[in-house]
Amino acid sequence: MEAKKSFVKINNISMWYPQKNKTLSQVFKKEQQWVKAVDNVSLELAKGEILGVIGESGCGKSTLGRALARLENPTQGDVFINDISTQNLIKEDQRKFRRTVQIVFQNPFDTFTPRDTIEKILMRPLKLHGIEKNDEERRKKCIDLLESGGLKPAEEIMKRYPHELSGGQLQRISILRSMLFNPQFIIADEPVSMLDVSVRAEIINMLLTLSRENDATVVFISHDIALTRYISDKIAVMYLGKVIEYGDCETIINRPQHPYTQALISNTASIDPDEEREIIKVEGEPPTPVNPGPGCYFAPRCFKATENCFKQYPETVEFESGHFVSCSEI
Amino acid sequence: MDKVLELKDFNVTYKNKSKKVYAVKDINLVINKGDSLGIVGESGSGKSTLAMALLRLLPEKNTDINGSSNFANMDLVQASEKELKEIRWKELSVVFQKSMNALSPVHRIGEQIEDIYRVHKPNARKDEILDRIKALLKLVNLSDRVIKMYPHELSGGMLQRVAIAISLIHDPKLLIMDEATTALDVVTQGQILAEIVKMEQTLDVTRIMITHDISVVATTCNKIAVLYAGELMEVGYVKDILKDPKHPYTKGLLASIPSLSGEKETLTGIPGHLPDLSQKYEGCIFAPRCKFAMEQCEKSKPSEVQLSAENRVWCHLYSHLDRDEQLESREDLVEVNR
Repeated sequence: MEAKKSFVKINNISMWYPQKNKTLSQVFKKEQQWVKAVDNVSLELAKGEILGVIGESGCGKSTLGRALARLENPTQGDVFINDISTQNLIKEDQRKFRRTVQIVFQNPFDTFTPRDTIEKILMRPLKLHGIEKNDEERRKKCIDLLESGGLKPAEEIMKRYPHELSGGQLQRISILRSMLFNPQFIIADEPVSMLDVSVRAEIINMLLTLSRENDATVVFISHDIALTRYISDKIAVMYLGKVIEYGDCETIINRPQHPYTQALISNTASIDPDEEREIIKVEGEPPTPVNPGPGCYFAPRCFKATENCFKQYPETVEFESGHFVSCSEI
Repeated sequence: MDKVLELKDFNVTYKNKSKKVYAVKDINLVINKGDSLGIVGESGSGKSTLAMALLRLLPEKNTDINGSSNFANMDLVQASEKELKEIRWKELSVVFQKSMNALSPVHRIGEQIEDIYRVHKPNARKDEILDRIKALLKLVNLSDRVIKMYPHELSGGMLQRVAIAISLIHDPKLLIMDEATTALDVVTQGQILAEIVKMEQTLDVTRIMITHDISVVATTCNKIAVLYAGELMEVGYVKDILKDPKHPYTKGLLASIPSLSGEKETLTGIPGHLPDLSQKYEGCIFAPRCKFAMEQCEKSKPSEVQLSAENRVWCHLYSHLDRDEQLESREDLVEVNR
């Protein structure tokens, strides 16, 4: 797939949920319907690479993140980090897996126990993983960590409870906490979408520097295309659980090939009032992920759809080197 | 030009037993007929408070509204509940972020729109209402089928379209959209914004857009008001301000938004955080976070500086400009007098 050796290899990962509310006929036929939140996603990431995952809400980008962090066990497929299967790793040594893979969540107000001080919150994982010899050294590590993230005075902040800090500060702590073990693979699930624009930039820059320092591979999940362009090296566009286009960040933004990506980018509003854009109109909304198809999932809304599109899900083709598109019209 | 809404020294204060929060302070703003004004600001900047106070939807028990807001020959601040009822929907209507949640789940969309139509025209005929509903749905790009459907059968984007259609039912003079498209997806938001702009060409409506997303204002509004901690920072034409922002806060805000085209520039944020609004400040409210803060900024509040006919900024950096101009104009006057 690439000349550079891949570090994280996502191999045919799928996350299917059984549909609970069956219709009567389905009960009699004993048919199990599946909600295919993530369907056969395969991607490869080089070491230190940042992959942006974009798509509308409900396209499965967060579920992909959760499956990658093994918060949920994927229905099928596996992720290899440095050629080690995470499925085996998590069974053998769950702590080691957690040290390698970390996730940053969207809502900083929900990620912390409201009853503990920041000190307790930061010290607990260190203690559980047996890092440093005693509490004194662990505390010092935490203070250094907070100060490196620009949270000063660190000692003062350690004494506080999460509700006493602002969203920006909490999200910083959340990112710093995920960096405690120098993870090799970080999943950032919309880390700044809850924050104000003026605070956003600093947190994004912090995430960038920290991941560069650690040479960590990052999956950055976001619905904000401009922000994803700013942060990522590669971009994967998802629609109804499938990756429909993948390639270099600039290629995807400037020369999108899949009609859905084209529509998505053309609908992103710019802050330049003079910019003339041609908005590609897309009818309707994404259909349910319960047994979509058989054709291309986007075909019913696509402005380029032909008869062929409704018959079979298109194969992924390499449009140009390193730029993959799943569309039968290309 | 006709003024649709004029705010004079508009203040909103939330109060409880122990403290007061000065959420909106000394807003002076004029909205002309046909304008589309975007009010932008971060969370906690008082943009929604401003809108809710305008609509008089805040609980009277724990809010103080001072100043005046002149709309359609009446002062909204002083208006009685009865007078307000007269103008709501008819002259003044609003779409909230979660307006779609206001729809009753057990009634068909058509019935609900009909009810609202009958608020102001109780004796309307059935077919007349049906025609109106059909016209409205067409305006927001929905098919007639929707009339017979229940809210749960529609998606979020469609429901928000219904909410926008309802807000237009009595041809209001002023439409306030409070984060009306924020909860929607990029594609749906793009569609709805395009529809709003398109439908304004045919309707005679003045619009206030309240949003935290500057790109929404850039695509749909002609004027912009930047709000920070309840105070106006900068007001003017969108094309002037987004191109050449004057106030350090606006500059900072624009620098922290990544762009989709052109070179990748390093994003810079604004350090610090919102001040505590339960206190009153002597100086400029933005001074503690401002890169250009001078001694003067901490001592006195900047007054309004008129940069051009429609563009105003509240910042000490530009106060000398105004003074010079004022001096010039004064000298002119002196000469004329001579």
